[in-house]
Amino acid sequence: MTNPTARLPAKLHRRVCLVLTEDAVLAEELLARKKLATEVAGRLSDKVLLVRPGRLDAVLDELRKMGHTPQVVGK
Amino acid sequence: MPEAEPDWSDRCREALSRYAEPLLRTVADKLVRPRTKLPAEDLLDKSAATLGNVPVIDRRIKELPPAERKLLALVGLSRQPRWKVAHLLSLLAALDHHDGFAPVQSLLENGLLFPEGPEGAGAIADFTAWYGAAGTNTAVVFAHPGVAARARGEDLGLPNLSDRPPDATPRTADGLEWPLRLAAAWQLANVEPVRLTQGNALFKRDLQRLQTDGVLSAAPTDQLAPLADPGVLALLWSATAGLLAPNDGALAARAFPSEWDGPPLPLLAALFAALPLVDAWDPLSGYAPSESGLSPTPTAGLLAVLLARDWVAPDEVAAWLWSHHPSWASALPPETPDKGAAWAKAYLLGVAFPLGLLELSGDFVRLSALGRHLLFGEKEPPAPPTFPQTLMVQPNAEILAYRQGLTPGIVAALSRFARWKGIGAACTLELTAEQTYRGLESGLTLPMIVQTLNRHGTRPVPAGVADLLQRWASKRERITAFASAVLVEFPTAAELDAAVARGIVALRLTDRIGMTADGREPSLSQLRLIGNRDYEGRPQRCLAVGEDGVTLTVDTPQSDLLLEAEIGHFAEPVPIEPNGARKFRLTAQSLRRAAESRALSDIDRWFEERSGASLSPAGRLLLLGSQMPAPRAERLLVVKLATTDLADGVMQWPATRDLIAERVGPLALVVSEENLAALTAALADIGVSVASPS
Repeated sequence: MTNPTARLPAKLHRRVCLVLTEDAVLAEELLARKKLATEVAGRLSDKVLLVRPGRLDAVLDELRKMGHTPQVVGK
Repeated sequence: MPEAEPDWSDRCREALSRYAEPLLRTVADKLVRPRTKLPAEDLLDKSAATLGNVPVIDRRIKELPPAERKLLALVGLSRQPRWKVAHLLSLLAALDHHDGFAPVQSLLENGLLFPEGPEGAGAIADFTAWYGAAGTNTAVVFAHPGVAARARGEDLGLPNLSDRPPDATPRTADGLEWPLRLAAAWQLANVEPVRLTQGNALFKRDLQRLQTDGVLSAAPTDQLAPLADPGVLALLWSATAGLLAPNDGALAARAFPSEWDGPPLPLLAALFAALPLVDAWDPLSGYAPSESGLSPTPTAGLLAVLLARDWVAPDEVAAWLWSHHPSWASALPPETPDKGAAWAKAYLLGVAFPLGLLELSGDFVRLSALGRHLLFGEKEPPAPPTFPQTLMVQPNAEILAYRQGLTPGIVAALSRFARWKGIGAACTLELTAEQTYRGLESGLTLPMIVQTLNRHGTRPVPAGVADLLQRWASKRERITAFASAVLVEFPTAAELDAAVARGIVALRLTDRIGMTADGREPSLSQLRLIGNRDYEGRPQRCLAVGEDGVTLTVDTPQSDLLLEAEIGHFAEPVPIEPNGARKFRLTAQSLRRAAESRALSDIDRWFEERSGASLSPAGRLLLLGSQMPAPRAERLLVVKLATTDLADGVMQWPATRDLIAERVGPLALVVSEENLAALTAALADIGVSVASPS
């Protein structure tokens, strides 16, 4: 049983560029777009795509071209 | 947030700190007049403080020669503290002072003007040398606005061109025409930044955008004089007024400056002050970039407005400029034989009048109450009546904005989430998905948008439009992009559960990784850091391949997120044992899946990066075994030697080597049935007997 007040061991990943989708189908739709898929470094989960470092603007451009209106945080 | 207004005393002190000490002492001797020799730092502080001392500044200005006093007065009247030296010399020449750089140098030496740049230059030891280094066309000086304002009362010696009173009741503009057009230019740059060439000129495509934009290129509804390229003027003016800023080789929209939040007067004052900085535009020629970067428009425009202190016909202003301004006449388009009358009319009636600086009666103009207040400090004109309910949102998502109720604040607010469609007595805007998205991206929320429309609307937002806005806003929630988030990885899912329960992280990204709602760093007081990885750093070796060649063990402190995302392409996770390391196993299926999207060389490179060696032989067997020729099962006759050396000897000796079919081990040689007798005989010759197979 974990001590409820103990400090939790954790590893931090900083400066991560990622895209969160509402559902897995939407993530699939994005990955089906060739230009977008090349900018995606990997899929962290069915709704979370890791974007290659420094390529967020290209991803946003492509998303907007697809007609999406992504909410951008921390830019 | 827009940048705060610079503290001009600090700016002056900073400029003085770039002077070589002898020059600083010369300037401070004239400005501060210290009684004792002070350290340089004290001189800087005292000089900056003196610039705010009104009686001392008044005395210093009074002691100046007329040309210097006029120059300072012109800076004060323009309300623009920064001027190109070349423009100041043009203004002085128009006032019959043809002394070149001397008056500017004198003001620099008196500490009443300060040089700007050039970037990275060393200490300034001499103003003439600085002027040469900064470039005669590009050198910029600035004055403390408080100092320049004290000189505004100086008589410039401009003639009174008025010869008769007006015929009818004067007419004034509401001053909103240019703020509205600048807001539309801001919107255009917000949709797509306006790119600039290396020489800071507009690209043809962007120029065409400005010249064909339905709102920016349209003439005002009550146009008094035609104006060329009003869209270009709106764009350049919005840049000098702080609505746009250079960013990565383009003019990009920034937050509306603070003067857009209040009543019209501060905004109109700011726009008037920003006007002399618009260089590449001419009322008759429109967009007019020049190699020198200098245009007579800022100086001739300021003089034209000053000449309209009393009722005057634009023709008379043109005639005066024709005979006095050093470069204006030569810059006029050659096909205008009216000696610049059309230019003066276009500037005064097309720029200054709509800004509210002038009033009009028949063919005559003169400074309005606002113009006299801004230029000569006369009584502030009364604020216009307010009509807070001035918008009507129509069921087709168009907004009708009655102009008499518009304020800078409403104009700025609307510009963020509704697209300007028409500027006139009643302006029209359109609510669109794209513009709503931009509004939300700029920091607005859906309730803020609806509240703005309701607060200033003559009736509530129609239900259909509210639904539309809601739908557009919801669409934005479907995809969230984080530019630079901090992700928190826990060793087990249970620990992530605990972190969520304690509010350390809000979002679960995987069963072990979470992050805060805004992607910022979580509170570290409840965490014990076991690793710290930079996503933008190089991938690290963080995998150990087991003896079996198929078990991969993750070195958790060294592993990064890309490993997390990539390893699933190559291997299947192995259930984690309590307190055990995370493990994955290579399977034929996982490796074949990986091979569908990448070449073997890429797989090898990934394993080299992550484990230090290419794919293990066992992994190769799993991946490639099925693609190779099928293995054969066969019986062989093997001769087994006692030692490796003996086996090597048999392989080497000419009498035996041709009789060996294959070496299958250090001691084992394969011999065909038909060669066995010959091999046995050859070995027998040297005393080695081969035992027969049992």
